[in-house]
Amino acid sequence: MTKVPMTEAKVWPTSNADACIRCATCMAICPVSRVTPLFPGPKQAGPGAERFRRPGDPSVDSWIDLCIGCHLCDMVCASGVNISELNLLAKAKYLDEKGRPLRDWLLTHTYLYGWLGSLFSPVVNWLLKNSAIKWMVEVILKIDRRRQLPGYQSPTFRQWFRSHHSKGDRRIAYFYGCYVNTNEVEVGKATVEVLEANGFEVTLPAQECCGIPMLGNGDFKGARKMGLQNVPNLLKTIRSGSEIIFSSTSCGHMIRHEYNRLLGIPGSEEVAEHIFDLFEFLRNLKESGSLNTHFKELPLKAAYFAPCHLRSLNIGLPALEILRLIPGLQLENIDADCCGLGGTFGFKKEKYEISQEIGKDLKQAIDRSKPEIVLTDCEGCRLQIRHLTGLKVLHPVQVLRDALLQRTDEEMG
Amino acid sequence: MHFDLIVIGMGLSGLMAAKTASESGSKVLILGKGMGALCLFSNTIDLLETLPKGMKLDEGLSQWIKDHPQHPYSKVGAKIVEEALTSFTSLFPLPYSFVSAGDGNSLLPTGAGTLRPTYLIPTTMVAGASVREQGGLIVGFKGFKDFYPDYAATLLGCRSLTLPPFRTFHEEITAAGLARSMEKESFREEIGREIRREMGNETRVGFPAVLGVRDPWGVKKGLEETIGAEVFEIPILPPSIPGMRIFNRFKEWLVQRGVTVLLGHSVSKAILRGRRCEGIRVSNPPLSSFYSADRYILSTGRFVGGGLVANEEKIYEPIFDLPVSQPRSREEWFRKSFFSNLSHPVHQAGILTDSSLRPVDDKGERVLENVWIAGSILAGHDSTNEKSREGVEIATGYMAAKCAMKK
Repeated sequence: MTKVPMTEAKVWPTSNADACIRCATCMAICPVSRVTPLFPGPKQAGPGAERFRRPGDPSVDSWIDLCIGCHLCDMVCASGVNISELNLLAKAKYLDEKGRPLRDWLLTHTYLYGWLGSLFSPVVNWLLKNSAIKWMVEVILKIDRRRQLPGYQSPTFRQWFRSHHSKGDRRIAYFYGCYVNTNEVEVGKATVEVLEANGFEVTLPAQECCGIPMLGNGDFKGARKMGLQNVPNLLKTIRSGSEIIFSSTSCGHMIRHEYNRLLGIPGSEEVAEHIFDLFEFLRNLKESGSLNTHFKELPLKAAYFAPCHLRSLNIGLPALEILRLIPGLQLENIDADCCGLGGTFGFKKEKYEISQEIGKDLKQAIDRSKPEIVLTDCEGCRLQIRHLTGLKVLHPVQVLRDALLQRTDEEMG
Repeated sequence: MHFDLIVIGMGLSGLMAAKTASESGSKVLILGKGMGALCLFSNTIDLLETLPKGMKLDEGLSQWIKDHPQHPYSKVGAKIVEEALTSFTSLFPLPYSFVSAGDGNSLLPTGAGTLRPTYLIPTTMVAGASVREQGGLIVGFKGFKDFYPDYAATLLGCRSLTLPPFRTFHEEITAAGLARSMEKESFREEIGREIRREMGNETRVGFPAVLGVRDPWGVKKGLEETIGAEVFEIPILPPSIPGMRIFNRFKEWLVQRGVTVLLGHSVSKAILRGRRCEGIRVSNPPLSSFYSADRYILSTGRFVGGGLVANEEKIYEPIFDLPVSQPRSREEWFRKSFFSNLSHPVHQAGILTDSSLRPVDDKGERVLENVWIAGSILAGHDSTNEKSREGVEIATGYMAAKCAMKK
């Protein structure tokens, strides 16, 4: 696939609610309205309600906060209505008027205190697992105590990378995101190792949180602030001749599409052209015949789940295509709609039950497949699937790294 | 990325084309702006209303073909239509399969209380075919706005039962929500007990077609155990849960086969050189991606999905700007009597093709060499009037892929 900026007239108007023909296809796919009558479903909440919304009037959409932001309604709409975007704009208006609890600020600003979590990780992780603390967090902050908050790691990915000397013939920049940096360092290491095994020298551009937690919570101002910090740094990297990859499909979708579409960040179009999903990038290498495919036999039964934001990237399932090259790896694609976590959605006390109910469908699909491990590109999905199934859940790049023959392996035959 | 074949449109015809091409070992990309009309229609597989009861499929179809030389079925031929239907049903092994009652059409009850002729029926609907003669209890749910059991039952000469709201719901429920609840044993037992109490001398119970998405046969069996009577599904208003089952099955199969499936964005432009298509652009703002293939199948449907677009003056095809056969002016779109049993001219509008389903102009000259046309966008048929929607989609999707992948 070759990406080119759109030169055609803007095809994504601010509101195209009137294009809705009320066919109800979105009502069949919405993971939220399927499990709760509290949310009227995409047809009603999006284009339906939009026809009654007027700029000066106060918001009455008390249920709008239940849209999980999965974009599945947008994907199935044959009339091209930007339903989830209408929902997000309405959610922002509702929350701007009603006010946001401290909890939402804490959940969406982990980038500000994540380094502290890593620095004091033994203590912090103990606290996060302590049931008395969890109970207090639930009472004070309304973060559900049944949900395990992710633990922190030390050193951070960035600290690890500082003492890692990346070498390669060509350069590639890596947008790793907050979660890899402080909570899932292994994913970052695996990404670096896979890219190096393909002859790339990895660099880390200056970066902040992409802003998707804020956007998902209707905080356009906060999200835009992050975008305005990231875009100039990413542009600098691009203009120095390096493409950028991301391993988190949520960060990636945010930067590649929402920076431009929803936030109008200057320069975001150029960034979008040069930023790639990790496996999309590897697939491009495969297409041009330059992918390192020296794999060893990896006898493993894995289930793959495609995150919602990967689907809205509209690049297919590149991780599946690449992992299928690994001999011995039994890989089944799990056909389920949404994991139910929705970023910060599933942590909130009032939404926990809904989140779990959505997740049940995915859990059942995984149970039927009986895998040893589950693979998915999004940290939110990984958290949720661990929570639902108790199985080991990895980013696909971790399996790819394990399958790559080390030079010494090769020499040993 | 480069493919052997790109299928544009993810309705039934496009899915059939992708399946057929993939079976020949081709590298296939299928992309769709949305789910097509599968969630709107496609509870059952219509072939042709005029297929007389008892007449064998090939005889009835051969007669139709003789009488309608411009019809898509005439381009496909009776033998290939049958082959295509077999290929379609092979995706649905028993117990949830598509079957025909005898050789011809069956009359199935609808949510509107009417009986409509259709050819292949999901096994969960078969028992409904005799509801008129043998009666039954028609069950619905309070707060479910897409099905009114009293109305349907009155017209069908049956008794009806509206179940009260259950713990699972508040005052409003959707088809998808109901289908999901139906997959839970506890819910089935709860409603089953209620129905059992209300049963008279009926031997069968009709439900709106929401008996689960993944395992409708299991749901049917579960209900039958609790109720103690045969259970069947009645097709209702959109969204069509049976249509969703078809879509999901195709998608699962195609992904498993390694077909690239891109759902959610439309083709913004086709790049043409002379009479060949060299690639397409798919827009996902701010980007548009470029894909190329040796061959292309256009199966974008009619007006609902944007395969055909009408402005004040004419109907046009937006991707390749193919010539569209249509009435000379808008005044001629409809007959004087709107509710006439005869087909309105506008419904016959569409893309003209040669016998291999390649697009031609009004003089019969081939317009594009490496593009084939499939599905309801084809000129010369009126699927609503003929009750041929799924038959035409399956047959032409199959045929277009066979022709495109030849040699």
